[in-house]
Amino acid sequence: MNGKSPEFARRRAFLGTLLAGIGAVLGAAALYPVWRFLAPRKGAEAQDQVALSRDQVPLGGAHFFNFRGRPAVVLQTRAGHFTAFSAVCTHLGCVIQWQAAEQRFLCPCHAGLFSADGTVLGGPPPRPLESLAVTLRDDQILVG
Amino acid sequence: MSLRKLVVDWLDVRLGIRDLLEQNLTNYLLPRNINIWYTLGAVLLTLFGLQFVTGILLLVYYVPDTEQAFASVQAIMNEVPYGWLIRNLHAVGSNLIVVALLLHMLSVLFMNAYKKPRELTWLSGFLIFNLTLALCLTGYLLPWSQLSFWATTVATEAPGAIPVIGDDIVRFLRGGAMVGDTTLGRFFALHVMGLPLVFGLLVGFHLFCVRRAGVSRPPFGPDYRGEPERFTFEHEHHAGGIPFFPNYAVKDGAVICFFLAVLAALVFFAPNLFIPPSAFEPADPFVTPPRIKPEWYFLWAYQTLKVFPSELIGLGIQGVFMTLLALLPFLDRSAERRPARRPLFVVCFVLGIVVFIGISVWGHLS
Ligand code: FES
Repeated sequence: MNGKSPEFARRRAFLGTLLAGIGAVLGAAALYPVWRFLAPRKGAEAQDQVALSRDQVPLGGAHFFNFRGRPAVVLQTRAGHFTAFSAVCTHLGCVIQWQAAEQRFLCPCHAGLFSADGTVLGGPPPRPLESLAVTLRDDQILVG
Repeated sequence: MSLRKLVVDWLDVRLGIRDLLEQNLTNYLLPRNINIWYTLGAVLLTLFGLQFVTGILLLVYYVPDTEQAFASVQAIMNEVPYGWLIRNLHAVGSNLIVVALLLHMLSVLFMNAYKKPRELTWLSGFLIFNLTLALCLTGYLLPWSQLSFWATTVATEAPGAIPVIGDDIVRFLRGGAMVGDTTLGRFFALHVMGLPLVFGLLVGFHLFCVRRAGVSRPPFGPDYRGEPERFTFEHEHHAGGIPFFPNYAVKDGAVICFFLAVLAALVFFAPNLFIPPSAFEPADPFVTPPRIKPEWYFLWAYQTLKVFPSELIGLGIQGVFMTLLALLPFLDRSAERRPARRPLFVVCFVLGIVVFIGISVWGHLS
């Protein structure tokens, strides 16, 4: 075994590479199903538009609902005028609350404040709330 | 190369890993005449590892609730990507494990490897065997199908034959008078946590025993040497033997690949070989399906119970048989390990296999 000729070393390297290659292929073949098994599936999240009825949203009030798997909020600031935002705070992802008396949003986690049009009034949030498209049809509010 | 050396160097300074590897791989010598039956331990270790992984994966989607269990298993089979693969590997794998376990036990028996100083190895292996059967039994209930429900009803009914305390044992096993929510709860806890925990410890101990005492020399051919009379501990290291790595590890790997190929063939081409149609209906406590039979590896027990007029006698015989098997190394104390020189033992061995198969086939057909 001491006489390791270059020939021997070459064969050895070849076999090693071959084995490693086969191992990698088999490993990938085993991991792919596991990854697919565990990967989250598109469910309600794929659903595009959410329909709400107008009387769910009081004047000067807010209504929270589920939009593509995340919380969102729709406001009626003036009669017949609706705006919608993602209710996820842009700081660290807490869900904002609507303060009807002050007509603004408060994030309870680190006291971020947003105005009724989503802009930051104070606190740590770096960006305004993500606003969502709203269309009105009959007495329905379509978001998204 | 240099990266590998870097990693190994780093670990070596802290754990002495080179020394460990050398002791347990390249310098760990096995008897020259070691045969292929010795690979079954590694096969079992691999199959159990696979059960562990697929079991954890199934746990992600399975719901242990009598209202939802069946539907959650259906969802795993039909909706979750590759759910059918994971579940069939787990279900079919358990059957293959029992096959490998029986072969492992039979080879150890035939080669008389259970004898002094390996009594503890045998005993821990015997407990592992029983725990495996308990895992099979508790896992059977979880899909909450007709098959699960009634197989469990029948299996938990057996201790009822014991006088005085029998009924209490049955109630305790089921957590109530009948198989129901409470049974599912305790079987689930046992199957995913309780039994695997004890199981893992026992496997560790079993491997420790094997490594510590040293592998037994196959009792065949001119290489065989009788066991010296031992009064103190002595590790049996086979000077002049073959290294575990790479020589025997390659053989281990080949047999493991063979078993995995069988598993894959079953999973892809005959996944329902071990799964009768009543496994595809949700459990209904008010309708017993006809011809309820246990899995093939419990058929012998099922048939013994049917053959004897009194269930108690049947249970007693099973108990005596299992106890004898567990205590075999303490009863069979002669140092002779060559089957050729132990005709009585070989006759019992062969008869035992024939009777086991005969009773099982009878149970299957009756
Ligand atoms: S998460 Fe909203 S202020 Fe920090």
